[in-house]
Amino acid sequence: MRRWRLWLLMAPALALLLAIFAAPLMHYLWLSTQAQSVLTGLKPVPIGAQQWLRLWNDGRFWQDTWQTLRFSAASVSLEMLLGLAVALLLHQPLCGRSLLRTISLLPWALPTTVMALGWRWIFNDPYGPINQLLAVLGLGAMPFLSNPNITWLAAVGADTWKTTPFVALLLLAGLQTIPSDLYEAAALEGATAWQSLRRITLPLLTPYLLIAVLFRLAQALGVFDLIQVLTGGGPAGSTESLALYAYLNAMRFLDFGYSATLLLGSFAILLLLCGTAALVWRWSSRLQGELR
Amino acid sequence: MARMLLLLWSLGPMLWQLYSSLRPNEALSGMGTGGWTLEHYRQLLQSDPPFLTTLLNSVVVGASSTALTLALAVPCAYALSRLGRRQARALTALVAAAAAFPAVLLFLALLELARDWHLANQLLALSLPYAGLCLPLAILLLTAAFADIPIELEEAALIEGMGLWQRLRWILLPLMAPAIASSGLLVFLFSWNEYPIALTWLSRSDLLTLAPAMARIAGSSVYTIPYGAFAAATVLGSAPLILLMLLFQRQIISGLTQGAIKG
Amino acid sequence: MTNSGATGFNGLELHGLSRRVGNHTLVDQLSLQVAPGEILALLGPSGCGKSSTLRLIAGLDPVSSGDIRLGGRSITTLPPAQRQVAMVFQSYALFPHLSVERNLSLGMELRGMARAEIKRELDQVLALMQLQEQRQRKPAELSGGQRQRVALARALIRRPALFLLDEPMSNLDAQLRDNLRAELRTLLRSTGVPVVYVTHDQHEAMGLADRIAVLRNGRLQQLGSAETLYRDPANRFVATFLGSPSINLIERGDLQLGLRPELLELANAGSPVPAGWEALEGQLSHREWLGDRVISHVHCPGQGTLKVLSSEAFTSDTLQVRWPKAQALRFHARSGERLPGSSDPHTA
Repeated sequence: MRRWRLWLLMAPALALLLAIFAAPLMHYLWLSTQAQSVLTGLKPVPIGAQQWLRLWNDGRFWQDTWQTLRFSAASVSLEMLLGLAVALLLHQPLCGRSLLRTISLLPWALPTTVMALGWRWIFNDPYGPINQLLAVLGLGAMPFLSNPNITWLAAVGADTWKTTPFVALLLLAGLQTIPSDLYEAAALEGATAWQSLRRITLPLLTPYLLIAVLFRLAQALGVFDLIQVLTGGGPAGSTESLALYAYLNAMRFLDFGYSATLLLGSFAILLLLCGTAALVWRWSSRLQGELR
Repeated sequence: MARMLLLLWSLGPMLWQLYSSLRPNEALSGMGTGGWTLEHYRQLLQSDPPFLTTLLNSVVVGASSTALTLALAVPCAYALSRLGRRQARALTALVAAAAAFPAVLLFLALLELARDWHLANQLLALSLPYAGLCLPLAILLLTAAFADIPIELEEAALIEGMGLWQRLRWILLPLMAPAIASSGLLVFLFSWNEYPIALTWLSRSDLLTLAPAMARIAGSSVYTIPYGAFAAATVLGSAPLILLMLLFQRQIISGLTQGAIKG
Repeated sequence: MTNSGATGFNGLELHGLSRRVGNHTLVDQLSLQVAPGEILALLGPSGCGKSSTLRLIAGLDPVSSGDIRLGGRSITTLPPAQRQVAMVFQSYALFPHLSVERNLSLGMELRGMARAEIKRELDQVLALMQLQEQRQRKPAELSGGQRQRVALARALIRRPALFLLDEPMSNLDAQLRDNLRAELRTLLRSTGVPVVYVTHDQHEAMGLADRIAVLRNGRLQQLGSAETLYRDPANRFVATFLGSPSINLIERGDLQLGLRPELLELANAGSPVPAGWEALEGQLSHREWLGDRVISHVHCPGQGTLKVLSSEAFTSDTLQVRWPKAQALRFHARSGERLPGSSDPHTA
């Protein structure tokens, strides 16, 4: 097979990838140096680095950054823990395992907006099932969606419910690659279940954990659907994410130039965090390799 | 025990929606006890535009995106699996990075694209960005599957005198059917669920796909809401997907799993 | 021999064929000829370049230099489809999703052959290979031997101008392999085209091929009949690669003597050595009983262990091992090149 024919086969897909992923980022770079809003009659007017300065001094941007990070850290770590537990459970030889696997994957398959709407009803104060249960137990109602200190946790809960199955399935795939004779050998040596988990499962699962963390972190840092439908960013902007802020700038305030700046800012944060995570992992695995 | 907990955790919220959708609003807000009703579903199906139109729109977008994605991803994955190791590795890393990229960050540029090229409010045009966003995952899955087919099979076909198209049509694609099915299902799932781009590309209410339609229903106030109708909408919106999951559980799970192992 | 009759020759010719990948030379200046109806075995250890050579002939890999001619015309740059070659792969490469019948007919269908003709060819080859019963089965439902027959049938039905086989027996168990050898030889001879057969198994090469080409590190070591290679090896590599049990090597300064196990004779220790013979004394370490013959492993201090093949076991444990000097093969110790004169009876 001639080489150029291979590239010809890849060309359409690569072209679309460039158009959908690379071109927008380039476009944002340009747009972030242009004022394009109602004030300029929606025409781009070059203004240099002004919007980047505005970003730097924008309290709402930094607050949203903090809120997005808080949301991502909480939901990703919760998903990893629960996902590992579910994966270990689904890895057990149980009857009805494949049906259980499918059922546990259902939350992941649902559209985020659908399930966000569902959770809004579940978190309802006072008629949602949780608050009704609390009432039956004689406890006060929880203002899930109206208290700035609680609402972000409700969002974390809903996100965890939706994406834990995905993490669990990734980790389950990893578990299935570990040969079972390793556990048998460990059992012959008298290792406890906890020791096998720490000494065999976790080390061999590390690559899968890392893939799951990187993927989930990137997705969580771009959280949008869930927040927009569940809370709309409220109460009092306490759950607004970076993506939602950028969306509002474009669609509500019609400030496209600044929206592009915000999107690039979010991308930079994403790149920084995921890049650091990947580098740390690479560095630590190399270090471990040398120690061995 | 742990299994029951998992079942409850996964199904509980969905069952609650089903329960709510069948109860009159008064019962839901604690003002009456009153029985069961299909009123919410009737309302939903008779609303303007009817909810079924929304579902149909989602099916159209899902089907066209899946077809376009596969049409682009299959040749690309074939070439990638036959490319030299070093080039393939670099390309695969880029594709994997794109697979993890949160699509919402692209909405603004894609919005401008839709405006400049008059693609807004056209259901089929939506498959262009959707195919672009799904390509990375599809390429990764299909490349791994192509690499699993022994190279001798293709060489045997080559010696038989088959050209590239004949080899793909008669030898490789039939063997790829399971992988193509599972990538196709994942793409369909993505298109069915995608929100930010549908939100910005579609404004006519009779063209809305499921995700933005649900959000539009939610757009009313947080406090006084016809929750029964919401619940009915979540049930109807989820039902096709749940059906799809149950029918094709093996393909979907193997698709995700393969993606994890090979990616 | 290599450059003779490039125009008049009707079979397969390789002229200075080389394949290099990076700084690796997989096939190095290989020249040989295979006449129509002749079976040539490419024999060597894994990595010797035999499969690479086959792939070059088939057109699956590009040639770095040299020429491949078939029926008098150069096919070096032709794509595989136009070379009219048939190849049987080690894994058989049967299409797993197609029935036996479709595996055989797909190529003809795609070449646009008439349906009636396809059916005639199919019936004929399926009858020849005794595969009528399996017509509709998928490869996964066949035994190893049946799969091999399907692979052969797929090659035969092409009516190729050249037949290539890449270790077609290596996926079969040993007994089946022995039984099939004669059958396969007859079948291949009957095609009347040149056959190139790659194997690492010397028994297979000796039992099947008219001539054997021994390869090592991409270079041709020797080309000839099984008997020539065995009796008159060009170098130590060929001598050690052929024969089982393998040849004994003992040091004689900067020479090495190669002694075939069946050449050696056993006697009681201290027996007088006949004129023109040479002898070593040693201890019997163990015996392998093969039924009709015995291999005695005799440990000779300073010379290692010699394998002696005899029809009967020798009772004593301290032994003399002796051989007629004239029949020892002599190799240069460092280069391994065969030295002349070892068949001269007067080199005492």
